[in-house]
Amino acid sequence: MIMQDFKYAIRLLAKKPGFTILTTLVMATGIGLSVYLFSFFNMLFADLPFKDGESIVIIAASENGATNFDRLSIHDYFEIRNNVKGLSQFGAYSEESVNVIGREGARKYNASYTEPGMFELTHTVPVLGRTFATKEDKVGAENVVIVGFDIWKNQYGGDSEILDQILQISGESYRIIGVMPEGYSFPRRAELWLPLRKDAKQLSRDNTEYIRGFARLDEGVSKQEINQQLSVIMQRIEQKYPKTNHRKSAYIGSMSMSSVGSGIAVVYSMQVVAILILVLASINVGNLLLSRAVERSKETAIRVALGAPRARLISQMLWESIIICTMGGIIGFLMVAWGLEITQGITAGFFPGKMPFWWVFSIDAFNIKLFIAFVISTIIVTGLLPAWKNSGENFNDALKDGTRGALSKKSGRLNKVLVISEILISLVVLICASVMVLSSYNRTHADIGAETQGIIVADVALSDARYDLASKKSEFINTLQSRLENSTGISDVMISSTLPGLFARTNKLEIEGKEYHDNKGKHEANAIVITPGTLGKLGVELQQGRYFNNSDNGDDKRSVIVTESFVSQHFPKQSALGKRLRFTENDQQNPSWLTIVGIVEHTRQGDNPTRSKLPSVFRPYAQDPRVQVTVAMKSALDKTSVTKILRDTLRSIDSQLPAFRIETYTQSVYRVSASVRFISSVLLIFGIAAVVLAGSGIYGVMSNTISQRTQEIGIKRALGADEKHIINELLIAGVKQLLWGGIPGTILGGALGFAMGTVMGVGINEIVILSLTTVIILGTIVILATYLPAKKALQLEPSEALHYE
Amino acid sequence: MSTTLIKLENIEKVFYTEEVETHALSNISLTINKGEYVSISGPSGCGKSTLLSLLGLLDTSTGGKYQLAEHDVSGISKTERARIRNKEIGFIFQSFNLISDLSVEENIDLPLSYRNDLSKEQRVKMVKDSLEKVNMSHRAKHFPSQLSGGQQQRVAVARAIVGNPSIILADEPTGNLDSENAAAVMQLLDVLHAEGATICMVTHDPRSAERADRNIDILDGQIISDQSNPAHKNFDAATA
Repeated sequence: MIMQDFKYAIRLLAKKPGFTILTTLVMATGIGLSVYLFSFFNMLFADLPFKDGESIVIIAASENGATNFDRLSIHDYFEIRNNVKGLSQFGAYSEESVNVIGREGARKYNASYTEPGMFELTHTVPVLGRTFATKEDKVGAENVVIVGFDIWKNQYGGDSEILDQILQISGESYRIIGVMPEGYSFPRRAELWLPLRKDAKQLSRDNTEYIRGFARLDEGVSKQEINQQLSVIMQRIEQKYPKTNHRKSAYIGSMSMSSVGSGIAVVYSMQVVAILILVLASINVGNLLLSRAVERSKETAIRVALGAPRARLISQMLWESIIICTMGGIIGFLMVAWGLEITQGITAGFFPGKMPFWWVFSIDAFNIKLFIAFVISTIIVTGLLPAWKNSGENFNDALKDGTRGALSKKSGRLNKVLVISEILISLVVLICASVMVLSSYNRTHADIGAETQGIIVADVALSDARYDLASKKSEFINTLQSRLENSTGISDVMISSTLPGLFARTNKLEIEGKEYHDNKGKHEANAIVITPGTLGKLGVELQQGRYFNNSDNGDDKRSVIVTESFVSQHFPKQSALGKRLRFTENDQQNPSWLTIVGIVEHTRQGDNPTRSKLPSVFRPYAQDPRVQVTVAMKSALDKTSVTKILRDTLRSIDSQLPAFRIETYTQSVYRVSASVRFISSVLLIFGIAAVVLAGSGIYGVMSNTISQRTQEIGIKRALGADEKHIINELLIAGVKQLLWGGIPGTILGGALGFAMGTVMGVGINEIVILSLTTVIILGTIVILATYLPAKKALQLEPSEALHYE
Repeated sequence: MSTTLIKLENIEKVFYTEEVETHALSNISLTINKGEYVSISGPSGCGKSTLLSLLGLLDTSTGGKYQLAEHDVSGISKTERARIRNKEIGFIFQSFNLISDLSVEENIDLPLSYRNDLSKEQRVKMVKDSLEKVNMSHRAKHFPSQLSGGQQQRVAVARAIVGNPSIILADEPTGNLDSENAAAVMQLLDVLHAEGATICMVTHDPRSAERADRNIDILDGQIISDQSNPAHKNFDAATA
């Protein structure tokens, strides 16, 4: 019996190959895109690949309720550790880049400074040697290091005698005591591990250090319970230390969540979008199957007349859904496998070094379960529509020829519900997609204020040990700049703590003459140090005053250049030249007043649109030397040649200093927004799919509805309605459906868009414009989907329309 | 003196489907005067419904000339045809063809709603009068699905006469009704005719045909007989 129905369904599908291909592709798109997005996020937020990995949590700080996995003060960490119940196996860690001198010379690696216990927490033992002993975490203890598998293989060629060898890390000697297994990078991208050695007792709260905590959640304890406790503990600390802990709190979250931070709103919105795409695809296929069921209602009636039980009829209809959804699902799943493979390569580009170790994008048990669940759901949804339609059909009427006066109320309602659903869902998907695409566009097309072409950039980090004095740092930078400038092939050298378009450190500042009651009322700006000539060579246009010159060099000089955005914010309608400001965060004891000597065009730092208008304050490097700088070299030579020149020059000054993150300036700026670009591209695909699915779906349903109303149109024409009347009537009905679906769709889409826009830096006005544009696009689709089938129906003579089947 | 309402001269209708040419009507010439009650009969597929469609401007002929109320309507535009259908012609269909989403009074008002020369009050009164004529006032707010077949056809008759058309075209008006309801509908047409309505009815039911003043028989798309019904004294043979 089942085989008979299956064969019949195959025969029906084979009879209409166009229909079969179309519905299968629609289902493949729906299932493929949805499974892909859910798989992507599942892998992004996967439990750590350790025994009980799901119970490992990160303890982080929050400020003003914003949960961005900020670092905690070491003092707060110890308070939490001593008072919270339900967490165990505590530890603290901080992540840093360090210079390592190995066989291949100086290299930069990601280091994790950690308390002992991190390795036990992850149930991981070294492949060689041991982990840290408690005594090695004391200040003054012997310098020891555990290296990762890659360093062992690449720097030591997998030497089994590596233990007790000395490794030069940022100018200091460390004895190697262990080698971790391949793939181990806990907490995120660590390549070597060093003892943290932070003692809160030796630090004041005003001069604290910042770390993140890790711990294991006890069995039966929820994260919410712990977060409630943390809230109480932090409130108590805030009452006790209002100056340092104003509006600060702490919370726990999974390690995987910590890589997303405030982007979680985008993640949830995208998951909603993924489900909606699946629903949209299901509605489309369901509608196509429904129209087939309507076409075959007479055949169904004959079967009923011959005694076919209802269950048998439904099962027969379901077979078509099963075949279409399964075939579409398999094609979609193959697309998912391919998409995840591409994703692995793309996401690697988000980070200058390694990406989080749990980010492995491939087919796994989760994908397969999700695929099966989605296929079953779509079979039910797509099979349900025709089954529902036929369950209430008057078979006797269907058997009588020509007794249908017009489209039945039930069918009419069903079609209206389908169109309204399509409009609603499409609007939500399109608004979300357009918000992401606009955000991506804003980030990638915004003027950063500098020229990026023909410039190779590299980072250089000085070690605190060897360059402890400001004068040593300045001397090194001066030497580096002059040697590079004298190198053949390099026309310009610019050295800066960061470059326009890249992330910058921000500082609180005061302006002379203004009163400040607390730190909160102070202004904020990007605090960037540069060598003289850098701004001009980067093409950052001078608007007033002057650029830095050699007269600004020296830590006794007090000159700054500000951006025009700084001037318009703090000195509107007056000259800012000669005005004074001072930074108050790093030099709190005796901050010096700095005089504005020049005003340049606005430079954008980082890609966060909400902070893109933050002004910048530039200081000469010699006045505020930093350990890490970016060297930008303008050259007609290729990257390899420039890299060789830079490395040779560095070696000639200090053999222990590596240059890292060497790439073109354009690549560097591109990477800043690479993740947003990627998500935008994915959502753009979703948006295009939504437009195609919605457009074809709405057209399909409308055309089906009008086709079913052909007799009704014939009657009305027989009664004297002309074409204009009929078209107007149908258009009004279409517009009503547009409003029914459009209003809630715009509200829901707008709300999701707003949630995404808050994070992605798309303003409410832009979201309103995007929503209206989307409504207009869908409105046009609805009007065309009404007008074209109506014109087609009107091509029939009324006499033909009256007898239309 | 009788006034000519409809005049067909050498009307032809050919259907072309998949390279097959079907002559549905050939060389039909016919005149219907105002106030006449004409039945058109013939076996299935003979072309009687096609003829009624052409008379009702629901379709266009392939050849020949059609005059309605002394106006040539053979080559007029679709909009003009719609206007004429609306004002001059009332249709009664075998399958009632009521709009299921509209109530009885809304169905009857439908042809009036396509006219711009009537006020809302006039339309309401015309619908009310029409409903009274077919004795369906008590069902004005009902929907077609809540009515019996006979009631639905009475509503369809009310809709056909509501705009005071020059002619009522009925296509097998009793075809979907039991004998009791069929008799009631035919009685209704008799009354309308007695009040002066011109009626042209397609039927294959001899009892229905007997009620007409004049019986036209069609076979293979051609008129084979056109004669007055002796039972009706007021027959004025158009062909005489």
